[in-house]
Amino acid sequence: MAALATSWLLSSAPGRAQVTSEPSAVVFPDPAKFARGLYTEGEVGAVAFFGHAGDVVSPGFAVGARLGYDLTRWAALQLHVLGSTHQITGDNALNGQLLQTYQAAVEGKLTYRFGQTSIFAEGGPGIERLSTNALYVLGVEPQYRVGVVLGGGAGFDYHSLSRHFSIGVRGDFKVMQQLTSSQELFASTYLRYTF
Amino acid sequence: MRAGQALQAMIVLAPVVCAACDMNTPLYFPSPEPALEVSGMPDAKGNPSRGENGLSLQFRNPTAEEQKLLDQQAASLGFDVPWIQRDNVHIELIYTVTNNDDPMNPSTDGVPQFAIGIDGANEYTKYDENIVSMALQQGNNDPPTVIPLIPVTPQVIQPGQTITGTVREDDFAEAELDLYAIGEWMAPYAAVLINNSQVNPVGLEMVPPNAVIPALIEIDVNFTANRDMTVKYDVRVRDDHNQLLHLTTDTLFSPTPALFQPPAPAP
Repeated sequence: MAALATSWLLSSAPGRAQVTSEPSAVVFPDPAKFARGLYTEGEVGAVAFFGHAGDVVSPGFAVGARLGYDLTRWAALQLHVLGSTHQITGDNALNGQLLQTYQAAVEGKLTYRFGQTSIFAEGGPGIERLSTNALYVLGVEPQYRVGVVLGGGAGFDYHSLSRHFSIGVRGDFKVMQQLTSSQELFASTYLRYTF
Repeated sequence: MRAGQALQAMIVLAPVVCAACDMNTPLYFPSPEPALEVSGMPDAKGNPSRGENGLSLQFRNPTAEEQKLLDQQAASLGFDVPWIQRDNVHIELIYTVTNNDDPMNPSTDGVPQFAIGIDGANEYTKYDENIVSMALQQGNNDPPTVIPLIPVTPQVIQPGQTITGTVREDDFAEAELDLYAIGEWMAPYAAVLINNSQVNPVGLEMVPPNAVIPALIEIDVNFTANRDMTVKYDVRVRDDHNQLLHLTTDTLFSPTPALFQPPAPAP
């Protein structure tokens, strides 16, 4: 009897639907959650020379690093150091001798992000030092082993979604105007950590 | 917090920066111009044609502090300590020999070959194989005996061909020990030069085991060939302690090594 009364009472109560706002679209991945600010990059790749130096210097293995700071979501400033090792080639007595290059540059970087990936362009001036005077002996460069390099490049970055890490590839083209009147092409893959 | 992050960043970058430090920093010194060329025509006595040139490596004088250390070391050892030492200056020579004969019209007079002999000087003694050869030849009509500090094995080279070779750092290290022994410790020069000290150290008995061996500061190349040939070379120097003359403010180290004169042959 009581059950019948209860069901009658409930069935006679007016029904009210819960009113909620329409859920917003989920943004995934959300670049706003990616770490931003101070960052470092470690990279490995290859450097190849063109012009005068390209005639006597083989492409070589390169390792480098960057320390930068994201000024905005799309602009950053970074310091770049790079070392590469090469072999002297060509029809000369120094064929087979080793040569290292050390470079340091200040670069600006512009980034366009679309979700998990981004593309960027970067460039700036720097200095380069050769480990030996082999290019001078071969008549390729003046006696000085330090010169200015200028150039830039572009790359592609893929975020790992772990907030701090991303990986990417890049290519840079630089002119070594004072050192050897030559150019160099640098291609690398890198790992980035943003603090 | 930012300072801590920057420190972390520097820790990450430190190995890369260290890796970028100079690990292999030789300097190369080209042979004098014009290149050393011999005609291949034997001289009046029928000896093969020879040519010689060389170069001196320019070092700076020691600083007052470095000179003080040298003096202290010399006082403790009881004999002179050279400023340019074998352990600090490593020399290598890379040569290229070209047979200038026309490959289409080669000479048929014997097998074309060349030989290279390397002499030089440390800050005490200069060795010249030509002087030694003349001394050995005095009083007889024998063909000249040439004993260089560093002999390079004679090689056959075809017309138009170019051969490149290297006289390695350990070859120079052996020669530097030999020159020091014959110049400063009265070692019998022929025995010392002919024998490899690591195989047969004959003649080196007088050299103290704690002797500081001087490095060569002058390299002379003697080139012998029986055809028209040209040799070019580059001297490669690894200078561990930055003793080569770089800055204009440094003064040139200019010792006057004594020319080695072999003892007169027994009558």
